[in-house]
Amino acid sequence: MKPCVLPAVLVLCLFVLSPFCQAIEQEAIPLQSIQADFIQEKHLKILVRPLVSTGTFTFQNPQSLRWEYLAPVPSVLLMHGDKIKKFVERDGQLVEDKGLRLDSMLVVLGQISNWLDGRFSDNDMFIVSFIDERTVLLSPRDQGLAGLISKIELKLAARKGFLDGVTIFEGPDSYTKMTFENRILNKAVPLSVFTKK
Amino acid sequence: MKLQLFYLTVLLVCLAGCATGPQSRLPELIAAGYGKKQHGCAAVFPEGKWQFSHTIDFALEDRFGTPVIGITSLNGKDIDVALITVEGLTLFDAAFHHNGDTEVRRAVPPFDGPEFAQGLIGDIRAIFQSPTGNMVMGQVAGVTSACRYTSNEGSVVDVLLDVSDCWQIKSYSSDLIMDRSIVGRSCKKKGSSLIPDYLELKTYGQIGYTLKLTLITADKYK
Repeated sequence: MKPCVLPAVLVLCLFVLSPFCQAIEQEAIPLQSIQADFIQEKHLKILVRPLVSTGTFTFQNPQSLRWEYLAPVPSVLLMHGDKIKKFVERDGQLVEDKGLRLDSMLVVLGQISNWLDGRFSDNDMFIVSFIDERTVLLSPRDQGLAGLISKIELKLAARKGFLDGVTIFEGPDSYTKMTFENRILNKAVPLSVFTKK
Repeated sequence: MKLQLFYLTVLLVCLAGCATGPQSRLPELIAAGYGKKQHGCAAVFPEGKWQFSHTIDFALEDRFGTPVIGITSLNGKDIDVALITVEGLTLFDAAFHHNGDTEVRRAVPPFDGPEFAQGLIGDIRAIFQSPTGNMVMGQVAGVTSACRYTSNEGSVVDVLLDVSDCWQIKSYSSDLIMDRSIVGRSCKKKGSSLIPDYLELKTYGQIGYTLKLTLITADKYK
């Protein structure tokens, strides 16, 4: 399992939200698109204070995504259909990062339609369990992935279709916590959002 | 994928110390007496407990790797280092102790070889820790003040002050050929330390590489 699988895992987490709410409430609105801002806090034992990143994401069913870090390291991941590109900032310009392996993202996106239908038992990447009605735990099935991530905890929001946060645990002293805000559900999104940096 | 592995492999090889010979030779130093500039050289190397985070961009010739975030914690001669992806995944996390012991807490392949750890700490110590050896102050061409450290083995490190409002460090092998340069830019004074907003480390040789470090945070802590 390669380090660049993490963006795929983050995407996976985001899309878990709607199906779970469907499973819980049986009345979720079909997810067409979702947009949100996120705050990412990296916690590591040696860190004096968490490393905070901010950004935005936009997803449109079935396979379009824009995942953008605004600070401290600007980067943009674009996915539309079977095309995936990542851009990173270099000398003040966003340039394509051609050295990164992104095919794991395709695998994840291929499963999203299942999740959107609430079919989590079909997920071959994670064992899914409910801690309580608002907390979902994902445990990696694959040993390679388990070497990178020990578990993922999802906090579901009270409002159906929304996710309050995702925490990705690497080990007891190392985890990444993401919280989401300014969420917009099912608003039409221009194609250029997924194709242009 | 092959391209990524190529970059990483070259990075590992380079960090293991493949630099063998740029053509820059050690310039002459006109010795001067000790004075207040000695304190200026000390300001290049942060003392006490510090934690820095940088964006690190790796380049081999004109080709770049994927930027990562580097965490460097200084506690005297003890150094903790972590490399983290922009998405938050820890690639490498290790402690380098003053007695030479290394404790690698996490290393994701291909960062799990001992050569990588040793190469990494070599670059980090070059940036953050004062060189050892006999020190002479003076002037070198174009630079008004410099501290030259000569080790028992004959290798030399020049710390150059007041270069474009910041500092530079140039390392020379025992045959007096430059093998590493570190250029600081946009220095800001924090306490008694001069902290650059941007650092560029270059190694020279058959396969030289460049690390570009852009400061995210610099925290002095107790």
